[in-house]
Amino acid sequence: HAAPIHAEPEKENKNVALFDHLYGHPRRTTVAGAGKDVHPAVLALGLQMRNYVICGSSARCVSMLLVFKRVIESYTIPSRNSLPRHLTTHLSSQIDYIVSCRPISISMGNAIRWLKVEISNVDVSTPESQAKSDLCDSIDTYVREKVTVADQVIANKANDKIEEGDVIMTFAKSSIVQQTLVEAFRRGKTFRVIVIDSRPLLEGKNLARALADLGLEVQYSLTHGISHVISHATKVFLGAHAMMSTGLYSRAGTAIVTMSAKEANVPVIVCCESVKLTERVALDSFVHNEVAPAEELMIQGRTSSLLSKWEDVPNLQVLNLMYDLTPAEYVNMVVTEYGIIPPSSVPVIIRLSTNS
Amino acid sequence: MATAYLLRRVVETFKITDVSGLIERVQQVGQRLLAAQPREMATGNIVRRVLGVIREEAEEDRDGETSGCSDGGTHSRPLSAGEHDPRAPELPGPVSRALSSSPLRQDTGDQPPFEPSEDGAFERPTLLTAHASYANTNTGPVVTSMFSLLSHPRSNVASTTATPGSQSSGSLPPISTRALANLTAAKDLGAEIVVGIQEIVEELNQADDQIAGYSSEHIHSNEIILTHTSSITVQKFLLKAAAKRRFTVFHAETFPNDHESTHATVIGKANGGPDDELRLESFQKSLTVAGITVILTPDSAVFALMSRVNKVILDTHIVLPNGGLVAAAGAKVVAKAASMHRTPVIVLSGVYKLSPVYPFDTDSLMENGDPGRVIGYEDGGLVNKVEVENPLFDYVPPELVDLYITNLCVHPPRTVGLKVLIVCLRGGHAPTYIYRILADHYRTEDIEFDRINVCQ
Repeated sequence: HAAPIHAEPEKENKNVALFDHLYGHPRRTTVAGAGKDVHPAVLALGLQMRNYVICGSSARCVSMLLVFKRVIESYTIPSRNSLPRHLTTHLSSQIDYIVSCRPISISMGNAIRWLKVEISNVDVSTPESQAKSDLCDSIDTYVREKVTVADQVIANKANDKIEEGDVIMTFAKSSIVQQTLVEAFRRGKTFRVIVIDSRPLLEGKNLARALADLGLEVQYSLTHGISHVISHATKVFLGAHAMMSTGLYSRAGTAIVTMSAKEANVPVIVCCESVKLTERVALDSFVHNEVAPAEELMIQGRTSSLLSKWEDVPNLQVLNLMYDLTPAEYVNMVVTEYGIIPPSSVPVIIRLSTNS
Repeated sequence: MATAYLLRRVVETFKITDVSGLIERVQQVGQRLLAAQPREMATGNIVRRVLGVIREEAEEDRDGETSGCSDGGTHSRPLSAGEHDPRAPELPGPVSRALSSSPLRQDTGDQPPFEPSEDGAFERPTLLTAHASYANTNTGPVVTSMFSLLSHPRSNVASTTATPGSQSSGSLPPISTRALANLTAAKDLGAEIVVGIQEIVEELNQADDQIAGYSSEHIHSNEIILTHTSSITVQKFLLKAAAKRRFTVFHAETFPNDHESTHATVIGKANGGPDDELRLESFQKSLTVAGITVILTPDSAVFALMSRVNKVILDTHIVLPNGGLVAAAGAKVVAKAASMHRTPVIVLSGVYKLSPVYPFDTDSLMENGDPGRVIGYEDGGLVNKVEVENPLFDYVPPELVDLYITNLCVHPPRTVGLKVLIVCLRGGHAPTYIYRILADHYRTEDIEFDRINVCQ
């Protein structure tokens, strides 16, 4: 008779009502049930993204493009169809699979939009192999221009903002911020880094380790210590998931860091490639967001026994938000490869980068 | 709580000879407690309250003796010494005091006042040396020490013990009978003081429930509440409201220092921590059982959620006289995020947490915790290279707090003035009134009891 008692709470909706629109279907954990069109490389990529092996907006974007290159290489136009028409649908099924593993980032969306335009621009009369190699080349160019070179440009520009004796605070881990700090270290600047981190991903730990291995002086704390360590910081460098004209959309906790920085009169500098800029606007962190599985919040070890049974507790829900929106007023400048701008000028850069 | 029990025992076991000795004893115990945990202000507050009780009882006692001297309570400072004032008018004030207290002092001086101390934890030798050195410093300028006797009940102890033979030898006989009468009165006094301390203990026991009594005035249906850390006070407050209303609670887990008990709280199990006994005692059914939706969330999501939160309810470690508070680390950003979103912040605090010590530098109140909680042993290699910070507390400035709810309303008559305030503010008080409550609760002479010996 114990079974029905247990079955009842399981039926309870564990979704937080405020975020019901964000839950969708549970994340795919295996490749089982994937469409037969899905390329093996995409299958692997999806799982890597799901498990945060590939994490971070740019990393996901680049790896997706590289995998799409392989998809295109192994793609053959079915008979009585044309590449611009069919490849788009073929790619769509790949994208659907990736989305089912983890919702795609803004930068991925931007890249996909660009790729689809590229595909539709391919002349129907071009021979298949030629069209495919052209597409692959343009993907390479895109990655180089929008990410690789852009990162270098941004790292250089942001470097001008690092002065001798600065104490740079950063939150979680951003590859571009890491690159900037490493570049500054290479130039022989003396500065200190404070890494603030948060559960559950603890990405900042990797950043702290990487910087400490280089020989930088690194201080590490979690969001609970922010109001103490912010007083030591002279600048806050942040990466972005996406940058909107209304604010910075980044890992949950960023808003807390920037808020504390604003209070302490510490300038906040966001390093962000133009692929991450979006015309989307959001006023809060509710409409667009990503809700990660609550299980990721469980801590292995001593407390795991406590919280692991949370699903059996009626009325208890666990919310694991991925992102939050930092109001634009907390961001002092945005460093992009096109230049250093205030958040309100984001649409200008979008226009610049999409027209060129 | 434990402090009150301890002090009750101290008072019970202390051979009460005169009030100043008792006050001194309590002060010493208090100092020792504070030295053990300097930032645990609630302990100091309890000591202050006990001192206040002793002084008050002593004053009442004296008022009874000096029948008709109704305004005796106004010059409250020379407590013990003042008892003999009206009886020995022919003697100059200071001398009479020295004389009157000397036999008693000698008594305690020969077999030190710490003798009856029940607790092995207190090392008597150190206390004795402190006492001795104290006396030595005062022997030089006798006149000033006699003078300070007027304002400082403690210092007469020193002066008399320092110069016992010279002054008391001649006038012992006339005093002894009075001392005897005094002693019996003092026994009653001791009982009264124990009753007073018992009142404090009861007040502590009831504080959470009394605070919870206000919950229905502050939580409405369908509200979204955000709270931080696991706190019995907050849980009781919400539970009381849950009896009548349905609402949602976001519970920030307060990683890494308090997340375990937070998890235990939301799961509905008592935490197996060191304070197990206390928790079991006050263990109640959890909010979720009461039908309240509880959403556990990492601290980082606080800002994101704040725009939908109607109220933030915080527990506190101590409340400072300026209306600021010291709470678990992370509380500052929660309060700040709330104020950015114009979300009201309510702080629940027992009166015993209102601390009269105003810290000039709030950093001095902070304490760092175990860095191992931030970076676990599995990342041991990182610890060598990276400086890990794990603050335990946050200072939340008063401008971030909208309301304090304390257990004051059903309080002894000492807080009559406050009751008016409470009624005006409907159970809560704005941060700016905190200093007023403090003034009602602690005697000014007790506020710095921990500093009295510092100069020696």
